[in-house]
Amino acid sequence: MSSPLARAALALYPPSWRARYGVEVLALLDDSGGGPAAVASLAWHALPAWFYPPRHLHDRPARMRASLATALMSWSMLAGLGLVFAQLTQLQGLAPAAIPQIPWAYAVFDVALAASALIAGLGGLPLWLLMLRRAWREQRTRDTVYLLLPVIAPVTYLAGLIVTARLAGGASGVSQGWFGVMTLAGFAAAATAAAGPGLALRRLQPRGPALRLAATAAGASAVVMAVAAVAIVIAVTSLDLWARQFAGYHDGTLSGIYLALVVATATVTMVSATRGTRAALAQP
Amino acid sequence: MDGVTDRLDRWADPPLLVLASLADEPKHGYAITQDVAETMGVRLSAGTLYAVIARLEARGLIEPLESDDRRRPYRITMAGAEALAQQSERMSKVASVARERLSTRLGWAGA
Repeated sequence: MSSPLARAALALYPPSWRARYGVEVLALLDDSGGGPAAVASLAWHALPAWFYPPRHLHDRPARMRASLATALMSWSMLAGLGLVFAQLTQLQGLAPAAIPQIPWAYAVFDVALAASALIAGLGGLPLWLLMLRRAWREQRTRDTVYLLLPVIAPVTYLAGLIVTARLAGGASGVSQGWFGVMTLAGFAAAATAAAGPGLALRRLQPRGPALRLAATAAGASAVVMAVAAVAIVIAVTSLDLWARQFAGYHDGTLSGIYLALVVATATVTMVSATRGTRAALAQP
Repeated sequence: MDGVTDRLDRWADPPLLVLASLADEPKHGYAITQDVAETMGVRLSAGTLYAVIARLEARGLIEPLESDDRRRPYRITMAGAEALAQQSERMSKVASVARERLSTRLGWAGA
C-alpha cells in the first residue's frame, strides 16, 4: 500500500498525468520501497509536468472548453467592475484637467472595453450559433436556455434597472443603497449570462474550427481587456492620490479592495484565455 | 566514485538509458530501474523514470502494452530503435576517439 506521502506527491501532478501514470508510479514506489528521497524526487518532477504537459495526454478541445468557460466568467466580472468604475468616475464628470492621465485612462478604458467585447462577441458567435442550432435540433431545452442566458439575463436586468430607477429614483438619481442593490444585481446578471454558455460548453462538448476560433478570440479579447484593467488602475490611483477633491466620496480602503478585485479578475482572465489560446494554436 | 567522476556520470542521458533497457524486451517501471542500475550503474528515481517514459511515449519512441496488473510494461518502437541505434553509433565514435587518445597519451589500453 502506497504511503500517504507518495500519494501527496502524486497529487501535485496534472490530473491527466495522474490518470495515465499514477497507478504505475505508486506500484514502482511500492516495489522499490520508495523512501523520502524517492518521494521528494517524484514531487520535484511534478513541476515540469505542469509546464511541459506530454502532448499525448493533452485533450485540446477539453482544455479549450474549460478555458473558455473560465475566461468568459472572469471577463464578465471584470467588465462589471469596469462599468462600476465608469459609473463612479467619468460619468460623474471626475476629470481634472491638471491630471491628464485621468481623461486619457478614461478614453483608453472606453476603447479597450468596446474592442474587447467586440472581439469576444465576433469570435464566439459562430460557436454559439452552432451550439444553439444543435441544442434546438436535438430538442435539448435546458441547453437552449443556457445558451440564451447571455441575452435573457442582461435584458431582464436592464428592464429591472429602468423600473427601479423610475420607482426609487429622485431628482438626483437613486440613493446609495439602491445603487448598491442595482450594482450587485448587475454582477448577478453578468455571472448568470456567463454561466449559461459555460454550462452548455460542458454538456454539448463542441469541437472543431468554431471552438478554436472562439478560444483564439478569447485570448485576443483578454489581452485588450487587460489594457482596460490597466487604465482602471491608473485612473483610480490617480484620483485617489492627486484629485481627492473630485473623488470626495472615494474611500482609500474601498479603492484598494476594488483595485485588488480588478487585478485578480484580470489575472484569471489572462491565464485562462492564454491556456485556451495555446491549446487552439498548438500543432495537432 | 570520486566527485569529478560522479559529476561526469550525470551525463548519462536517462531517455537513452530507458531506451537501452527496453532494447531487448518489454519491461515495466520497476524492471527498468533494476536493469539500468545493474547493467549501467545508474539509479533512476520514480520521478525521473516516469518523466522520461511520458516524454518517450509522447514522441512515439516507446509504447505501452496491455496489462491487468498495476505494472504496465513498455516496449521500444521502430522509431525508438532507430533513435537508439543512431545515438549508440555516435557514442561509440566518442568512446573510440577517447580510447585512442588516452592510449596515445597515457598508454591506457582500455577495458
